[in-house]
Amino acid sequence: KMSEVSEVMTKAGIKPKSMHRAKIWSDDVENLYRFQQAGYRDEVEYKQVKQVDEVECWPETGFVKKLQRRDNTFYYYNRQRECEDKDVHKVKVYVY
Amino acid sequence: GFVLFGFFLFKVRGPPPAGSLKKRPAKRTAFRKFYERGDFPIAVQHAGVANKIAWKVEIESLDYHYFLPLFFDGLCETEFPYEFFARQGVHDMLEHGGNKILPVVPQLIIPIKNALNLRNRQVLCTTLKVIQHLVVSAERVGEALVPYYRQILPVLSIFKNMDVNLGDGIEYSQQKRENIGVLIKETLELFERYGGEDAYINIKYMIPTYGSC
Repeated sequence: KMSEVSEVMTKAGIKPKSMHRAKIWSDDVENLYRFQQAGYRDEVEYKQVKQVDEVECWPETGFVKKLQRRDNTFYYYNRQRECEDKDVHKVKVYVY
Repeated sequence: GFVLFGFFLFKVRGPPPAGSLKKRPAKRTAFRKFYERGDFPIAVQHAGVANKIAWKVEIESLDYHYFLPLFFDGLCETEFPYEFFARQGVHDMLEHGGNKILPVVPQLIIPIKNALNLRNRQVLCTTLKVIQHLVVSAERVGEALVPYYRQILPVLSIFKNMDVNLGDGIEYSQQKRENIGVLIKETLELFERYGGEDAYINIKYMIPTYGSC
């Protein structure tokens, strides 16, 4: 469901209306953590900047596997959870 | 001890210590040479995250025959940033190597042996965790390692009983996965589980005190 929404957003170049911090961990928070580590707001911005349709993910968990940063270097992420509980409150959740 | 020879008592000294537990000095690694030459596909200067390295090229396109043994060679390093890049580089390459890892296994044995032979606690911990990751990284890697047990297991046999008796104290190193005795036990169990039918008997031959899991 996330990808359908972001596809529409990407095409329209829409910017988020508001932001709040994550309180508890979830799969979505994990993926947001990964995008933000690579220097993007979220999947929407990544697809806008990198002009790609798909983001490479681990098939078993659905977590982001690989991202290309703005300097074109690559970040690789683990199959399992990387965002620890102490880092959850740093994750920004954008609302469109 | 003393020895009675005729009417005289001679003090006899035992054999000198062999130093099996003593640290050995590390030689300059090929990893460090290539790192300083700038040959590595890693972006060194970037305002990135503490535990992550940024790759200049996609790992999937790397020549594993060339790079994986080089990164394994860096496991002997103890100084920052060499130790960090070697450890993280090996982790990323094993995580994303897939079927490229198995053909390279024979070339990884000498770097692993060199790292274990340093008898350095920190290097031992890192290398054991890397070996554990290697065994589960791809299909049949565990079985491919069986012929090389006689090169890797002797040092593990020496350190296997390094469990400290703290009485009723708390063993924090076990929680942090830095207790060598526990790490060795875990590694041997992974060898047995992923090594196929011949694994247990080969482990037992090298480490007679090992108990099946």
